[in-house]
Amino acid sequence: MSLKRIMISFKMTLLMLLRRRIVLILIAVIPVVFLMIVGLTSTERPLPFRLASLSEETIITVSEKGINYVFFAVSSVGFLLSFLAMNLIQKDKDTTRRLIICGYSPNEIVIAKLATAFVFMLLIATYVGCIMNALYNVNNLFLFLVSLVSIGYVYGCYGLLVGSLIKRELEGILMIVLLVNIDVGWLQNPLFYEEAQNQLIIRYLPAYYPSQSSMISAFTEYSIGHSIALGLLYGSIFLILSLIIYYRTMKVNK
Amino acid sequence: MILQAENIYKSFGNNQILKDLSFELEEGTISGIVGENGSGKSTLLKILVGQWSPNKGKVTIFDKFGYCPQQITLFQNLTVENHFKYFAAAYGLENDEMHEQKNYLMEFYNFRKYLNHKVAHLSGGTAQKLNLCLSLIHSPKLLILDEPYSGFDWDTYLKFWDYVEKIIDENCTILIVSHFITERNKFDRIYKLENGRLL
Repeated sequence: MSLKRIMISFKMTLLMLLRRRIVLILIAVIPVVFLMIVGLTSTERPLPFRLASLSEETIITVSEKGINYVFFAVSSVGFLLSFLAMNLIQKDKDTTRRLIICGYSPNEIVIAKLATAFVFMLLIATYVGCIMNALYNVNNLFLFLVSLVSIGYVYGCYGLLVGSLIKRELEGILMIVLLVNIDVGWLQNPLFYEEAQNQLIIRYLPAYYPSQSSMISAFTEYSIGHSIALGLLYGSIFLILSLIIYYRTMKVNK
Repeated sequence: MILQAENIYKSFGNNQILKDLSFELEEGTISGIVGENGSGKSTLLKILVGQWSPNKGKVTIFDKFGYCPQQITLFQNLTVENHFKYFAAAYGLENDEMHEQKNYLMEFYNFRKYLNHKVAHLSGGTAQKLNLCLSLIHSPKLLILDEPYSGFDWDTYLKFWDYVEKIIDENCTILIVSHFITERNKFDRIYKLENGRLL
């Protein structure tokens, strides 16, 4: 493995993404639209809910608008990062394979793609967190941003897994929509979770810990270390699986 | 000898594509492989360049090789310059070496003015020239070309053969895989792929 090759691949991958103006515009617009809809449709009525991941029974009361802002901030980061990561792995697979035939190792390529995904994780999480904070003052902005990075990591790694597993774009998008919509876009909403018949299933879904840490950091002083660690663990399982599959599908005999 | 393929077998399910296929390429020669559609040319090529493994048999390439696929296999959002840099890194070329080869190839194939253009904005012919040049920048000793002239205009076609003559003089070996072969007199050997074997 060569650091120079990884750096060149990282630079080229980043350039390719930055030159797709429509992608950048959507990244900028989607969170704003999500949060604007929340602002226009949610009320200020106070709603009590339980922070399920804390060991002690903790019930807090927050305005409906506040809960929805946090929930949709988490959803938009999850959505964006999973699509972006899938696209990074899936797009131009034949040309990437040609590079591997010419001498690149699949690991060098995948490290460069990961690094690009990490850059966008940080950028998107910071962007969404700052817009969100402007609309609703979160309790601890730094920890809230860390929580958004963690949902970006979990769903970014899920996107990498889908991208390495599924060859075609449409099938990949459907796989992403299926899980992201059910998990981060619906079941993790604390208002739904509170009344859910089987909370155990929801606890095992990928967005559970990042959603919990976002709620905790946005509304309380409790520690989010435990939730972040478990979220990262979940994302890392996706990551390892995607690395193995990508390596197996892209390696050439030299 | 620069390439040796020994007793290659490849099948997909019950469909046996290559059967006990063997051949060798000597340095400084031009060889062609022709065959009908579906005869296994692409399968053989993918095995030669290492993209697929044979079910049985072995391919050995004894020096650095360049491979130009039939389809234009480029990144739409990268410029011509970006491609040279990216592929030079893949081959492990130093910057000076890359610039020298890049300048020479772009002058030779007459597309220097497109250096900073994105591939998405190039004509099919210019993209095909870049596709070919990316397999040449590291001065390979063996050049494997899949239907190389399908997108060429007349001038590029002539330049291609001029270039082939130049690198043959430098002891480079060329293998062209195509469904038809032109300029038969320039080839040292033409194989026909039929029923999974080279005739």
